Amino acid sequence: MKVSLILGIIACFSLAYAEQETLVLVDNLNIRETHSQFFKSLQDRGYSLTFKLADDANLVLSKYGEYLYKNLIVFSPAVVEFGGQLDTEVITKFIDDGGNVLMAGNSAAGDVYREIASECGFEMDEESAAVIDHFNYDALDEGDHTRIVVSPKNLIDAPTIVGNQNTQPLLFEGTGLILDKDNSLVMPILTADSTAYSYNPKSVVKEYPHAVGKKTVLIAALQARNNARIVFSGSLFFFSDEAFNSPVAKVHGDKVKASLSGNKALAIHLSEWAFGERGQLRVRRVHHHRQGEKESSNTYTITDTVVYRIEIEELRNGKWQPFEANDVQLEFVRIDPFIRTTLKNKANGVYEAVFKVPDVWGVYQFKVDYDRIGYTRLYHSTQVSVRPLQHTQYERFIPSAYPYYVSAFSMMIGVFLFSFVFLYYKEENPKSKSE
Amino acid sequence: MPTEAEAQHANVRNKGIFNNMTGFSTLITVTVLLLAWLAGFASRLFAVIRFESIIHEFDPWFNYRSTAYMVQHGFYNFLNWFDERAWYPLGRIVGGTVYPGLMITSGTIHWILHTLNIPVHIRDICVFLAPVFSGLTAIATYLLTSELWSRGAGLFAACFIAIIPGYSSRSVAGSYDNEGIAIFALQFTYYLWLKSIKSGSVFWSICTALSYFYMVSAWGGYVFIINLIPLHVFVLLIMGRFSQRLFVSYTVFYIIGLLLSMQIPFVGFQPIRTSEHMAASGVFALLMAIGALKYLHSLNPKRQWKQLLILGGLVAAGTVFLAVVLLTYMGVIAPWSGRFYSLWDTGYAKIHIPIIASVSEHQPTTWSSFFFDLHVLVCTFPVGLWYCIKNVNDERVFVALYAISAVYFAGVMVRLMLTLTPVVCVLAGIAFSILLDLVLKEDEMQIAPVETEDSKNLYDKAGKLKKRTHEPAPVDSGLGMNVRSGTLIAFMILLMLFSVHCTWATSNAYSSPSIVLASYGNDGSRKILDDFREAYGWLSQNTAEDARIMSWWDYGYQIAGMGNRTTLVDNNTWNNSHIALVGKAMASNESAAYDIMTMLDVDYVLVIFGGAIGYSGDDINKFIWMVRIAEGEHPKDIHEADYFTERGEYRIDSEASKTMLNCLMYKLSYYRYDSGGSPAGYDRTRGSLPGNRGFQLTYLEEAYTTEHWLVRIYRVKKPDEFNRPRLPLSKRKIVTSNNLSKKTSKRRKGLIKNKPTLVKGKKVTKLE
Repeated sequence: MKVSLILGIIACFSLAYAEQETLVLVDNLNIRETHSQFFKSLQDRGYSLTFKLADDANLVLSKYGEYLYKNLIVFSPAVVEFGGQLDTEVITKFIDDGGNVLMAGNSAAGDVYREIASECGFEMDEESAAVIDHFNYDALDEGDHTRIVVSPKNLIDAPTIVGNQNTQPLLFEGTGLILDKDNSLVMPILTADSTAYSYNPKSVVKEYPHAVGKKTVLIAALQARNNARIVFSGSLFFFSDEAFNSPVAKVHGDKVKASLSGNKALAIHLSEWAFGERGQLRVRRVHHHRQGEKESSNTYTITDTVVYRIEIEELRNGKWQPFEANDVQLEFVRIDPFIRTTLKNKANGVYEAVFKVPDVWGVYQFKVDYDRIGYTRLYHSTQVSVRPLQHTQYERFIPSAYPYYVSAFSMMIGVFLFSFVFLYYKEENPKSKSE
Repeated sequence: MPTEAEAQHANVRNKGIFNNMTGFSTLITVTVLLLAWLAGFASRLFAVIRFESIIHEFDPWFNYRSTAYMVQHGFYNFLNWFDERAWYPLGRIVGGTVYPGLMITSGTIHWILHTLNIPVHIRDICVFLAPVFSGLTAIATYLLTSELWSRGAGLFAACFIAIIPGYSSRSVAGSYDNEGIAIFALQFTYYLWLKSIKSGSVFWSICTALSYFYMVSAWGGYVFIINLIPLHVFVLLIMGRFSQRLFVSYTVFYIIGLLLSMQIPFVGFQPIRTSEHMAASGVFALLMAIGALKYLHSLNPKRQWKQLLILGGLVAAGTVFLAVVLLTYMGVIAPWSGRFYSLWDTGYAKIHIPIIASVSEHQPTTWSSFFFDLHVLVCTFPVGLWYCIKNVNDERVFVALYAISAVYFAGVMVRLMLTLTPVVCVLAGIAFSILLDLVLKEDEMQIAPVETEDSKNLYDKAGKLKKRTHEPAPVDSGLGMNVRSGTLIAFMILLMLFSVHCTWATSNAYSSPSIVLASYGNDGSRKILDDFREAYGWLSQNTAEDARIMSWWDYGYQIAGMGNRTTLVDNNTWNNSHIALVGKAMASNESAAYDIMTMLDVDYVLVIFGGAIGYSGDDINKFIWMVRIAEGEHPKDIHEADYFTERGEYRIDSEASKTMLNCLMYKLSYYRYDSGGSPAGYDRTRGSLPGNRGFQLTYLEEAYTTEHWLVRIYRVKKPDEFNRPRLPLSKRKIVTSNNLSKKTSKRRKGLIKNKPTLVKGKKVTKLE
């Protein structure tokens, strides 16, 4: 006990200096062995994993207001209640403070899983329910048709999250998830086939299942507004060595066969995305100025031509590198967008737009809101004021007003001449103007 | 010279005391005017003495802010000032939407004082500008009245205007508003106009135009001048009093005044494009036509020409009128504005422009406020008017028109009491002067036999009046000594009461800065409630520099002036739809309001809540106007009837309507409110217990509440703060059993189902 405490303290100290601290909660330490390939891939990428039993009485996520871990992996479906300081609230707080979570359950998962899932905007099916597919089960299935084969076509179309090369069928065994339709932030990473449903395999189907067909989500993800990422899998088996190594052979239908499942590639991709190795964007620099000038200005005059430049970077292989895309848009907004234009991609992740400020004065914002699935939300707004012309900036002589100028100047000349006539003309009997 | 007669009067009165009568009367005049100035200045200082040297109310805060800006950045920068802190996100071009006369006046004073190395802060100049100008108004009134009647009447009028509550209501120290200098400009313009019409000289006409220019730069009330003077000319024409003097003075004044007034950016092309100004140009054209006809007439003075003249005049008048109507119809001239209509139809604003009707100043005047603001003068000024009409000449026609129109306007709007006050003082001054002439005149009744015709008329008619109004007295035999002194004493007492009333009214009714409230305890002790400045101070210290504050428009100028933060709407109510949007946000429920607030990038919401201290001018009492204004622009979303009970009552207790109890304004006012005596949470202003209490706010959080709950500031949560879209319990399909935690403070171990227990001697089987 003492040793473990000391070790724990040492571990804490050593953890505090590393970058990618990850806490792994397990039912039993055996999971470390059964899922060794997955954990090894993490360790190879530089994560330092701390394995703890989920009911450990000394579990803590933060100390003195500082988080000890950046990521949390929960692989303990059997947990009824977390030990130590951990509970649903602490975990959701962890997410709100920017921590990433990877959770995997199975059909035996308890209500703690459901609580956390609901906090993130999706639901996990009832206890002991499992995804059943009588048409797409694996040859190694034990008779319940719960070890199902899922085609990679059912993956979400987002290479940042699931990677590009997912051609191998996937093995899945576990419970189904239901997504909240109104929630725009959750993503169904992997859905079941149309023949699947989620129910207790041991009992007769009496009620309509909670999840049927394509609506049965197997793996779901949430990118919160603070860019914290949560990946929630209904199957812990999905990440196991057994699933990674086993061949796939579908019994019915197209009888897909593969010598190796695609689970490993997908699991690694998912973990890369979940822990922020992929799909991270940031704004490096924003600059806007009048065309022809160099200095940035907070005030523009109506109908000025403005050059707006934004430099966007993406985290790739641990380094910030220029981000390349052709669909980044800029809005020039005063309540409503007055101008919406696609930014031109210049070299080195610099995006540029040149446009004419509208002929309406007010306080505007340059807004770049780049929100794509799999990427962190890139939002940048700069406030500038657009002012009307100054009193010296109006046109001095307007062509259409020339008749007036002519009349004014001719009048002046006329008065000038008249004054001479008036002063030097001698009348015989001068009549005074004012009687 | 008109003053000659008056000088003679003065001479008569003081005969036998001094030999140099003219000098003596000048001394008296100067002394009285100085004393009037001093009295007027001193009586306006109550607020400064009781509270401090501070800018009052709402509008003055903007004037002060822009004056400070002008002093700091110079005039041209002020002219081009685009204020991005007001009317977010529309912004406001201050230079083009303001009458700059006030700022230029104080800026000039500031500049002169600093050139003389007298370092006075611009705030003090702003605070004391109106009291100083009240003295100038007194002098202008003196000049105007002596032009009309006599110097004695002028002195009376000057004394009256110096202290009368109707004027000091807008010109106490700290009330740094346009009206403070505009009344001076008004009186002075009228004086110069009378001067020019008397003399017919181009010089005085140009002076009139210049003074008019100052008035235009100072106050929107210049429209009163540019309609009253043409009216005067028109009436003179009808009365057959056309003269070369009239022709010269009006044409010169009109053309130069027109050109000068168009130099003010805020006025711009209005003088030639709007119906409000068309009377002036119409009269100008008419005058030209009549002048031409007269000239033709003078060439061939025959009998027939006279009829032709009248006919021609009528034809010219008709043509001008038709031309104006036609141009209006074609859209060249803008029709009457809504504000103008509301002067003719008092119900108009209530139906069409709720934003005008919502201001208490724009309500019709009650009788009591006539007496309160003018006291005894309201009874005596008809006497002066009567004399002016009896002894009519060109100038007195003017003052009669002035009085009649001002009385009408003052009856329509409380605010326009201000234009009535000067003419009341002038006419009352005339009345009192005539009275004193009567009772103080000893035996020298036969003076002034050979004078101008005017003063002769005056003398005769004055004699007649004696019979009517005062104790019957024979015209020539003089009044009895007792009657005279009795009348004198009675009227002196009246005047004394007047001055007591003026001081009392100024001190009690018009000298509260309204940003600092005072309450009095039972023992007479005074307690200062400084919640407004506390809140604005909090804003300026604790919020981001560019934070945007949403509040009802009343508080816009103060937030900008004291809190130095961006506001959405303010007292310059130029954009009704933007105000309606804010009104809609206040009248909607929380989530609908949140949509509007995010659209407008609102960071904080500020509401005034008087329930705890019984302050009746708070937002809940104004709320129904917000609803009305919002309904005007968004009739689909907001319905006034929803905010009343079924019986049509406006209440906030449990009988109030659901919409009322759940709107944003209600929630922000009563959130967490537990003060106000027993029972806790009792609203002392409305005298009832709020119907919706103990609720939670979803999209806002309380940021600050002042000591007496008067100002409440809420922070609007950003969309980011709703980080995870949580699935509420009610929407969950799968029921979870709510397990109670078995953890205790000692035993922190969790629980795992089917946890494998280690049994020694057995092989561990595969788990999972």
